Amino acid sequence: MTLPSKWARMDWPLLLIALALCAIGLLNVYSGTRVHGVPGTALVTKQLAWILLGVAAFFAVYFLSDGFIEGSANAFFLAVLLLLVVVLLAGKVRGGAQRWIALGAFNFQPSEFAKIAVTLALARYFSGKYRYGGIGLRETLPAIGMVLAPFLLVALQPDLGSAGVFLFILAGMAVVACVRWKVLAVFGATGAAAIPVLWFFMKGYQRQRVLTFMNPELDPLGAGYHVIQSKIAVGSGGIIGKGYLQGTQGSLRFLPEQHTDFAFAVFSEEWGFLGSFLLLALFLLLVYRLFFLTIRSQDRFASFACGGIAVFFLTHIVINLAMVCGLFPVVGIPLPFVSYGGSSMLTGMMALGAAANLSRSRFTFQGGGGKGREIAS
Amino acid sequence: MTGRIRKREQDPDITRRSRLLLYVAFGAFALLLGRLYWLQVVESDRYRNLAENNRLRLRTVRAPRGLILDRKGRPIAETQGSFDLVCSPVDVTDLEAEIGLLAEIVEFDVDDNEVLDKIRSAQRSNPYSSITVARDLRFEQVSVIEFNRENLPGFSVLVGAKRSYPYGTAFAHVLGYVGEASPEEMDQSEDGSLAMGDQIGKYGLERLMDNVLRGVNGGRKVEVDAAGRDQRLVEEVPSRAGGAVHTSLDADLQVTAQEVLGNRAGAVIALAPRTGEVLAFYSGPAFDPNVFARGIRKADWQALHSDPRKPMQNKGLQGTYAPGSTVKPFLAMAALEEKMQEKGKLVHCPGSYRLGNRVFRCWREKGHGAVDMYRALVQSCDVYFYTLGLKLGPDRVAKLEKDAGLGTITGIDLPGERKGLVPDTEWKRRVSKERWQDYESVILGIGQGAVHLTPLEMAVGYAALATGGEVMRPRVVSKAIGKDGKVRTFSPEMLRKLPWDPENVEFIRKALAGVVNDYGTGGGAKLPGIVVGGKTGTAQVASVKGKMIKSEDLPYEIRDHAWFVAFAPVDDPQIVVAAMVEHGGHGGSAAAPIVKAVMQEYFRTLTVGPERKGGA
Repeated sequence: MTLPSKWARMDWPLLLIALALCAIGLLNVYSGTRVHGVPGTALVTKQLAWILLGVAAFFAVYFLSDGFIEGSANAFFLAVLLLLVVVLLAGKVRGGAQRWIALGAFNFQPSEFAKIAVTLALARYFSGKYRYGGIGLRETLPAIGMVLAPFLLVALQPDLGSAGVFLFILAGMAVVACVRWKVLAVFGATGAAAIPVLWFFMKGYQRQRVLTFMNPELDPLGAGYHVIQSKIAVGSGGIIGKGYLQGTQGSLRFLPEQHTDFAFAVFSEEWGFLGSFLLLALFLLLVYRLFFLTIRSQDRFASFACGGIAVFFLTHIVINLAMVCGLFPVVGIPLPFVSYGGSSMLTGMMALGAAANLSRSRFTFQGGGGKGREIAS
Repeated sequence: MTGRIRKREQDPDITRRSRLLLYVAFGAFALLLGRLYWLQVVESDRYRNLAENNRLRLRTVRAPRGLILDRKGRPIAETQGSFDLVCSPVDVTDLEAEIGLLAEIVEFDVDDNEVLDKIRSAQRSNPYSSITVARDLRFEQVSVIEFNRENLPGFSVLVGAKRSYPYGTAFAHVLGYVGEASPEEMDQSEDGSLAMGDQIGKYGLERLMDNVLRGVNGGRKVEVDAAGRDQRLVEEVPSRAGGAVHTSLDADLQVTAQEVLGNRAGAVIALAPRTGEVLAFYSGPAFDPNVFARGIRKADWQALHSDPRKPMQNKGLQGTYAPGSTVKPFLAMAALEEKMQEKGKLVHCPGSYRLGNRVFRCWREKGHGAVDMYRALVQSCDVYFYTLGLKLGPDRVAKLEKDAGLGTITGIDLPGERKGLVPDTEWKRRVSKERWQDYESVILGIGQGAVHLTPLEMAVGYAALATGGEVMRPRVVSKAIGKDGKVRTFSPEMLRKLPWDPENVEFIRKALAGVVNDYGTGGGAKLPGIVVGGKTGTAQVASVKGKMIKSEDLPYEIRDHAWFVAFAPVDDPQIVVAAMVEHGGHGGSAAAPIVKAVMQEYFRTLTVGPERKGGA
C-alpha cells in the first residue's frame, strides 16, 4: 500500500480522542505536581515530550506495512518475554518491585509492552484456530499457556495489577475470538477456584491492600490511607469541582501518586462531576471506536487484535477509575494518556497505532492488514 | 475502493461477541458514573468537610502568664522564653530509638516510660498534635539535638514560655506553682478555655489568682500538607497575655526571712499592723517552684511529700503549734479588761507552783521572787501566769484571744489556711464530755495544753495588740490588673475593732518593749534607735520528767518550738513580725534574732530605699 493511501485510510478519530485525553492529562499533571507555591513545570515538560514521542510511535506503528504486525507478532512476543526475564534478574527496584529497565536516562517497564505483545500474539494464535462454531477446549489451552508465561514473570516482580491485566486481555480476546461459551465457563470456574490459591501466594502487603479495600477504616493512616484520601478528593469536588489548580488534596500531598495512578482523583476534585462525566465520555468514545474497528475489520487477525486492544484500554480505564473511587483495591495501573508516565504513554500510543494500522483492512475487499491477502482494487 | 464493503470473511459471531463486550463496557462505565454521582453529588458535603479537616489545623497560640510583683514593683513570678523539646508523633519513625538517644541528652519532664506511653497514645489518637517532653533546655543540649537532627525526625526544639521565679525558693509557699492542667481541670474550666498542655496555677497565689494571671490563648488556623507541615496562615486570633498581680510583699524582707531562718524548719511572717498587708511570708523548708514549672518528675514529687520536715506544707498558715509564753500578753490584757487583776498586784514566784498534788515549774528554777504584771511579762514568769490562768479561767482567756484572731481563720488571701485551737469549757464538753479541770487553766496561762496556733494567727493577734484592738484581715494581693486592663484594688479590711481600754493597750505595749529592752527574755531582738516590743515563747513538745534539761540537749523531734512575736516601733507600730522555729529551742535565742534581722531590713529599706532595683 502506498503512503498516500495509508494517509487516506488513517483512522483520525482514534488519534484525536487520544490527543484530547493527552491534553487533559497534561493540564492535570501540572496541577497534580504543583506544590504550594511551586509550579509543577518540570514533569509537565517531560510529559509533553512523552506525548510527542507517543505520537511518533503511533505513526511509526501505523506506517508499518500491511502484514508486518501479524508476521512479527510472535517474534515480538518472544523478545518481550526475554525482557521480562531480564528485568527480573537485573531490573531496578522501585517501591519494592523490580519493574524497570534502565537504558541510560530512559527507564521503561517491559510489562507495559508485554501487554501489547500478548494481545498481538493471542490475536495471531486465535485467528489461526478460528472456526465456525467456536474454538474448543484443546485449542484454547495453548493460548492460556501463552498468557501464563508473562503473567507469572510480571507477578513475580511483583506487580499483581499488571499481571491481572493479562488475564483480562485473555478473557476479552477469548470472547471476541468466539471460544465456546462452555469452554469459557470451565476456565472461568477454574479461575474462581484459583483465587484462594492466589491469596496463599500473595505477599503480606498485597493481602493488606485487599483487606483494607474491604474496610479502609482498618488502617486510616497506613494501607487504607490511599483509598480514604482518594475518595475525599473525588467527593469534595462536588458537581462543578473546586476549579483548576484549586484542589487541596493533591497540592497538599494528601493524595498518594497524585500525578500517576491517582491522577483522576486530582482531576475530579478540580473539575467535579461534570468534568468527570466528560472524561468518562471521552474514554467511552475511545473504547467504542476500538470495538467499532474490531467489528469492521475484514481480517480475523486485525479484528481480534483490535478487540484485544479495546479490552486492554477498557481494563486499564475501569480498574484505575474504580480504584480511585474506592471500588477496587489499590493496584499500580495507570489511567491511559492521563496519568504521568512514559511507558504507559508509549504503550497506549503504539497500541492505538497498531489498531489503526490493522483496521486499514476494513477498506479492502478481503483483508488489507492481513498477510499477503491484499487484493488491489 | 468505493463505499462500504460488506464483510465477507467476517463471521457474524465475532460481531455479536464484540457487541457483547461493548455492552459490558457500557455497563462498567455506567457503574463508575453511578459511583461518581454518589461521591460527588450525594455525599459531596461530607467529603468537602473531610477535605477541609484534612488541610486546616487550629494551632493554639499560648498566652503568656501574667506577672506577680512585690510591693516595689519587682517581678517575683514572670514568664520567660525557654527552649522546649517538642514531639510531633506523626513524624516519629522509630520511637524507642529516638527516645533512647534523647534520654542521653536531656532529662525528660516525666519518666522515660511515661514519655513513651504519652507519645504512643498520641500516635493513635492525635498524630498531628505536638507534645512537649522536656522544657527549658540548656544551649549545649539544644546544639547536641540539632547535631543529631537526622536521627530525630519526630522531635524539634521550639521556643516556648516557662514560668520563672527569680527568687527561687524564697516565695515558694506564697506564690505556689503552676503545672499542666489535668483532664479534670480542663473539663471544669467554665468556657473550655483550657487547652491541652496549658499551665494553670496549682497552689498558692498562682492558684488563687489564676483567672487574673492566665491569659486567653489565641489560635492560628493554618493550612497543612499531608505531613502536617504548615503551608499557609489562613486566619489568626492573637493571644491575650494574662494580667498582673501586685502584692504587698517585700522581696528584700522575704529574702532576709529566708536567709535568717536558714535550713531550720519554721515560719516567718511580717505584717503591716494597721492595714493587714503581708510584707513577708516565708515557710521553711521550701520547694523550688521553678522545678514544678518545668514539670516535676514523680520521684522528686514523692521525695518532697515524704520529707519528714514537710517542705510542701505552708507552716505559716497550715502548721499549728503550742504557743508557749507568747500568749501571756493576751492573758494580761484579759485580766486588765475584765478587771480581774491590778497590774500592780505582786505574785511571789518561788520557782514552782503547786495545785493539789501537781507541781508546775517556772522556767527559772530559783524563782523570780515577787513580780508584778510588768515584771512577769518582761521576765516571762510562769508562776505569775499559772495563777492568772487559774484566776481568769479558760472562757475569759478564750474570748479575748479569739477576738484578737487567735484560733480563728484570719481570712488571708492564700489557699489552704487552717485554724488553731483556743480551748474553752464548751470545747472541752464537746470533745471529751468531761468537766474543765483547774490544772488545765494553769497550764493555759503559759500557752501549753490543748492550745495550738498557727504563726499567722499569732502575727494577727500581736497586730491587734500593736494597734490597740484593730483586727485586720491579712492580705497579700494589693492590686489585680485584669487582662482587659480593669484594675481591682484590695483596700485594707478591718474585721473588727475591739473596745480595749487605750490605757491597758499602752501598758501591754510598754511591757512588751520591756521584754526586749528592759533586761527581759527578748533582748536578742533589740534594735539600735528603734524601740521593739515583743514576746518570746518556748513551747514544750514533750514533757520531760525529772530534772530540767536544756532544750538543745534533747533529740530534735522533742526539742521545744521557739517563738518570737514582736512589733516596732512601739509608739507607732508599722511592722509585726512572727517567727516560729520548729524544735528550735528557746524563743529568746532561736527566734528573736530572726525577728530582729527582718525588722532591721525593714527599717533599713525604709530609710535608704530598696537594695535591689527592678520591676515592671
